[in-house]
Amino acid sequence: MSKASKTAPKAAVGVRQSMAWIHGWLGLLAGWILFAMFLTGTASYFRPEITRWMQPEIELRPVSTATAASTAVAHLQKLAPDAEQWFISLPDARTTSTRVFIRDRPNPDPNAKPAPRRSELRLNPATGEALSARDTRGGEHFYRFHFQLQIPHPWGRWLAGLCAIAMLTAIISGVITHKRIFVDFFTLRWSKGQRSWLDAHNVSAVVALPFHAMITYTGLITLVAMYMPWPVVANYKDMSTFETAVFGAEPDAEATGRFAALTPVAPLIAQASRQWDGGSPATMVVRYPNDAAATISLFQNSKDRLNARGGSIVFSGVDGRQLSASPSPGPAAETAGVMLGLHMGNFAGPVLRWTYFLLGLAGTAMVGTGLVLWTVKRKRPNAAPFFGLRLAERLNVGAIACLPVGMAAYLLANRLLPVALPARADIEVSIMFWTWFGLAAVACLRPIRRAWTETLAIGAAAFLALPIVNALTTTRGFFTSLAKGDMLFPAFDLAMIATGALLAFASWRTATPSARPVRERAATRAPLQGAADAA
Amino acid sequence: MTARAVTAMIGGYAAAAGSVSLAARIAPMDRAEATIWAMILSFLVYAGFILWAFHEPRLARVAAVIWGVAIASIGCLWLLGPAL
Repeated sequence: MSKASKTAPKAAVGVRQSMAWIHGWLGLLAGWILFAMFLTGTASYFRPEITRWMQPEIELRPVSTATAASTAVAHLQKLAPDAEQWFISLPDARTTSTRVFIRDRPNPDPNAKPAPRRSELRLNPATGEALSARDTRGGEHFYRFHFQLQIPHPWGRWLAGLCAIAMLTAIISGVITHKRIFVDFFTLRWSKGQRSWLDAHNVSAVVALPFHAMITYTGLITLVAMYMPWPVVANYKDMSTFETAVFGAEPDAEATGRFAALTPVAPLIAQASRQWDGGSPATMVVRYPNDAAATISLFQNSKDRLNARGGSIVFSGVDGRQLSASPSPGPAAETAGVMLGLHMGNFAGPVLRWTYFLLGLAGTAMVGTGLVLWTVKRKRPNAAPFFGLRLAERLNVGAIACLPVGMAAYLLANRLLPVALPARADIEVSIMFWTWFGLAAVACLRPIRRAWTETLAIGAAAFLALPIVNALTTTRGFFTSLAKGDMLFPAFDLAMIATGALLAFASWRTATPSARPVRERAATRAPLQGAADAA
Repeated sequence: MTARAVTAMIGGYAAAAGSVSLAARIAPMDRAEATIWAMILSFLVYAGFILWAFHEPRLARVAAVIWGVAIASIGCLWLLGPAL
């Protein structure tokens, strides 16, 4: 940090200088984690699709929500008619299978051992039968990692929050630092060393600036109840009083012990859909099924609305009467819900979803080019790099080049591990981290330029191998799927080939000797920016 | 530098949390709405404190303002107690 104290604002300095200083240091310190958050978060825009790709045994046709709910209830009636609660995640066009989770009633005998927690089941929505497929975390893993960072709760979320607030300050200070924001929109000078890195950083930042600011701020809002609960503490005696005021009361009646047959659920879904102007439920919670105090709560799916916090309705589980509904949100609650929706993008159709994905990649590129720029700027020809610079260079390789290889390894492991292997879902996750950190360690032993070239080449090979491995190990290869009219698997293959090609190009650029002692990886991101520019 | 960074990150958080909570507590509007607006805007206030903490050259002034706002607002909230 010797550099830090030297350039720290001591005397009165201009706003632009102090902001540039903050931008450089906060950006660097949070940048490595932010890169991983951006990349895995961007992949999470295809969370259900990744999960479906990772369970190729499951091939389902979408059915109506009412059918899926009825078949799931029929299955649960056979499996656990006396449960405390059934949680049913209903399928839609993207998630295809129904997921159910059972919470058993606590044993009345206090000395008895608590029943083991049941694991989540996947059901065929058409028949209600349990689906058997390879055990995997699927796209859920990337999604969880992007805000929990595989660190025990709650520390992962706190660290992610800290990085997000650093990102927010870096964005604000970056905009203030910037002199010619409009001109930089059109400026990308290739193969000019440090200047190219600055251009690439500016283009990826400026082109998608509203997206970067939005995604960072709304990301903080997704966990606001954890990060900033103090306004609630100032006003309410506890969190649940606040939640009741905003989202409506949750059913809390105790079980009576008297049997009462559970009402059919399809009419309730039809009624909820009418109240929601055609919206459908995403989740159904049945409390004390087959008891006289049974309730059925429906929570609205956010896929067809901007506000991610849909309404909820509670029905009697005995006669289907509506007991309560969530209050309609005020302007602030609506704003918060829309911010949540903007972050998760559940409302987005295919075109907007791909746009989200590309903007997410632009954000990843902005962080990545910023990290590289930091090192390139401090490199002096004919001078040995100081320790901090060498460290930053290595961490850059570890974050930017090694993480994609880890992600590819996670997907490859899904296809190559035996289907019935015990604890296979956890092994897949371990393989991602061993590959990522293992490669980063190896890269530390190589000359820096070679480390870039080699790691990027390994990444390219891993991604290009995925369509081949998929075709060899499943019945859903590119051409078979195309012939069947299944577009998910071919699209996935094409995305993997594009990623592999991008990494191969990057590897080639770092390997090509240039007159200046500079790596040229900014250029590889440029086609993406070019496309965004054209749009 | 350490004092400045701690003041920015921890003091800035405390000052932001305290000031938006106090505003939410005394704003003459619906409790739930005031609470949610305060939560939504809190990160902007926090980012503002961080940027100013690194921009202002006089560390004593930074520490006095940020820790002062934090202690004053949290003290007021403690005296007021929760509304509901």
